[in-house]
Amino acid sequence: MKFLLPLLLTPFLLNGCASLKKEQNLADSIKLDVEELKLANGMTALIVNQPKLPIFSLYFFYKVGGKNETPGITGASHFLEHMMFKGAKKFGKNSIDFIIEGSGGSTNAYTTNDSTVYYENLPAKELGMILDIEADRMENLGLDPDDFNKERAVVLEERKMRYENSPRGQLYQLLMQNLFAGTPYGRPVIGEIPDLKSVTREQIHTYFKRFYAPNNVTLVVVGDVNSTAARKMIEEKFGRIPASPSVNEAHASLKDADFAVSSTVSKVVAQKGESPSPLFMMAYPTYKAGHPKGYALDILSSILGAGKSSTLLNEYILIPKPIATSMYAAHQQLEKAGFFFIGGELVRGVGLDGFRADVSRKLTAWCDSEVTPRNLQKIKNNYLVDLYGGLDTNAGLAQFLGDRQMLFGDWRHYKKELELYEKVTVKDVKDLCLETFAKNPTFVSVWNQHK
Amino acid sequence: MMQLLFLSLFAFVPAFAGTSFLDAVERQSWDLGKEKLEVVWIEDDKFPKFTASFYFQDGALNDSVPGLTQFTFDQLTSGTGQETQRELAEFFDFYGANLRHTVTHEYSVFTVQALTKDIAPVMGKVCQLFKDAQYPQNELDSHTSRAKSHLKNLVTSHAALADRIFRKVSLSGTPYAEPVEGTLASYDKITRKLLRERLGALNRTKKVLYLAGPRDVKEMQKVLAAECEWNNEVKVNPPVLRKPEAQSTIYLVHVPQANQAQIRIGRYLIKDEFIGKYDQYQFMSTFLGGGFTSKLVQELRVKRGLTYSAGAYVSMQRDYGRAGILTFSKNETAADAVGIVRDVFADVASGKFLEKEFVHQKNHQIGAYAFGFEETGAFLGQLMLYDHQNRDLAELVRFPETIGRLTMPELARATMETFPWERQTIVIVGDQELQKSLSRIRPVRVVGYEDFL
Repeated sequence: MKFLLPLLLTPFLLNGCASLKKEQNLADSIKLDVEELKLANGMTALIVNQPKLPIFSLYFFYKVGGKNETPGITGASHFLEHMMFKGAKKFGKNSIDFIIEGSGGSTNAYTTNDSTVYYENLPAKELGMILDIEADRMENLGLDPDDFNKERAVVLEERKMRYENSPRGQLYQLLMQNLFAGTPYGRPVIGEIPDLKSVTREQIHTYFKRFYAPNNVTLVVVGDVNSTAARKMIEEKFGRIPASPSVNEAHASLKDADFAVSSTVSKVVAQKGESPSPLFMMAYPTYKAGHPKGYALDILSSILGAGKSSTLLNEYILIPKPIATSMYAAHQQLEKAGFFFIGGELVRGVGLDGFRADVSRKLTAWCDSEVTPRNLQKIKNNYLVDLYGGLDTNAGLAQFLGDRQMLFGDWRHYKKELELYEKVTVKDVKDLCLETFAKNPTFVSVWNQHK
Repeated sequence: MMQLLFLSLFAFVPAFAGTSFLDAVERQSWDLGKEKLEVVWIEDDKFPKFTASFYFQDGALNDSVPGLTQFTFDQLTSGTGQETQRELAEFFDFYGANLRHTVTHEYSVFTVQALTKDIAPVMGKVCQLFKDAQYPQNELDSHTSRAKSHLKNLVTSHAALADRIFRKVSLSGTPYAEPVEGTLASYDKITRKLLRERLGALNRTKKVLYLAGPRDVKEMQKVLAAECEWNNEVKVNPPVLRKPEAQSTIYLVHVPQANQAQIRIGRYLIKDEFIGKYDQYQFMSTFLGGGFTSKLVQELRVKRGLTYSAGAYVSMQRDYGRAGILTFSKNETAADAVGIVRDVFADVASGKFLEKEFVHQKNHQIGAYAFGFEETGAFLGQLMLYDHQNRDLAELVRFPETIGRLTMPELARATMETFPWERQTIVIVGDQELQKSLSRIRPVRVVGYEDFL
């Protein structure tokens, strides 16, 4: 899951910045005409007609990701994502990309800890065709043995590119492994090399049959679509696909407690990597997606790390003798757990230990000095602009709705989020700031000077 | 099947034409006192926000020190006579105003995005920056220090390192060889005086405003007339390039502990090669390496599993262009991947591709045409590039028709002219153990990456 934060934030309307009147319902300031369809087999579809151009975007959110894997098959969700483009029954070997691109469309997918998302952007007349493809591969994925082995090599190349030859990729993996040690979030979404080399077609097929079913997916289509025709096509193509009998059980087996992070002691982990300057991330456990306290933490992360006027930039970068060349802060909320982190790249010659001590000390002090009414206002203003930007395209809106439907079971959840953000006060942010930074952090670094 | 594909191609063309969008593009001339500012405006009332992109007909080619124009924009908010960097940052962040800039060799772009109701304060402050940026020494020192550190750490991204080195090697001997970001050696030569002079030149160069937003965004004219002191006295003369010469070596850039090689192959183009062939070249690059169904992705990834991605590009400014491919592969197969790229070039150049592949790509590009109009910012960028290249916007309207008329021999000829193997520069970033396998293709020259920073 990418950071949820920019999507959640919102139109409230603040003294200096907003044109809406205070008494106006803020959630209503975003006009979304969404048609919802629930099939008997459990599938949810959301349809938004925006006929400005003869095009549409289709998003398919499968509720399966790295957290659903077990030791020995790490990387299965992502591997399966690759195989979904290799063909099914009606749309055979390697035909899917050709059909989509041959009609002027584009397609891709991504896998996170919690979800696997497929998306297509297509000319309006192709809705029937793409629904046909999605239904065919949901029901009859081919998993051709020859393609399976070639794609294994491709995934291993992707792993090299994203992680093995990228110190920044290594750093993120190191953080997740250590912060979430012993939990499913501690396993790499891309997969461990031995697992990727040994996973069999049969294991992937079993995994597919369990999780790729109508009762585990949300379809969102936004663009030039006739909603009556779209409803009919969705019912026709997906209505006959049976639900997975075991998927609910699989989700129920993952308890929140299984993802609990121990922070009884601070962890400091150093890994040798090919970065001449030290790269670091420092994380504190917080709350899972949707927790009411998460909204104030989102705002805190922006106060500390978003924009040129943010605290971290002015403390460590925009100073006469810079200590860092980049710094960031974010609050990442996954379905079962969350964490607040800061990270960056230090200037050569700056010692990691000294920096860690310095930033740890300052974080608590900033809860008082940086969480001010003006900074709170500033962040809310920024969120408004970001929100408009995020909803500018068919794909942006489809992702906005799908994220909420998948995580909270209701696309309308954004209204509640807007309300919660609106209510966040300086005291809320200060309290959460003190609570978070009182915990023991996990500090990881990658540097070529480490042993 | 072939007939069906052709039918779908021609059936699409009348379904969407860019004319209606181009009709909505309004060209105006705003009187700012010392300057008549050309304005290209698109009405976009979806949200109460605006995007204003100021095109400056002046770029890194006029840098007396590499990186100067980039630094001039990077440090534009580092302080004015009235306000410090922190105060300026606080101001723009409070309004949620997003400022960004792009510097190319031939032109520069400064973009402002904010809420429409904040036009007056935000744009007034932007004018203040251009009038009164002081480039304080302490901020310049700090920026220089960070830029050096960042560049020294570029090895953390092998892809970015490969792109930088490929530019320097493939454009060696031309004024376009230096990266717009500058070099370790040039950073210390950038002074406050040079920055102020460069900003002065930019203030006096030709500008065009590409503007998107609701109707009331045009109130910006009053702000610019009252607050900005721009004119367009300075004219820039373009350089003249000669065609690149034959290449005899592979540049192997050694980076430690790499188990994957970044591969860059291509060359620069001179103006005479691409004028009048923009759409044809775009078609060629997509056919070769745009999308999952392109030749390179099919040959390298789908058939052989040698890479995760492969792409081809032909990018054209007004007076020069670049054509090339980007991919990567593990050490054991890097040389094979280079050989396959060579074979793909040769096959397409000699017409060894299927009609169905050709028709498929036509349908792909014609079908995708409407997407270029979806996001207003991207559409503005496209208009800007057309203007910079001195192209008629009617070409944009005719794009589906132009692609529809292309023939297979034309694709073959474009590939033959653009990608003759002996003229391609090859840069590989990876472990030096690759030297042996790569020498099967061409003699290899091993270099250190530090030489290119």
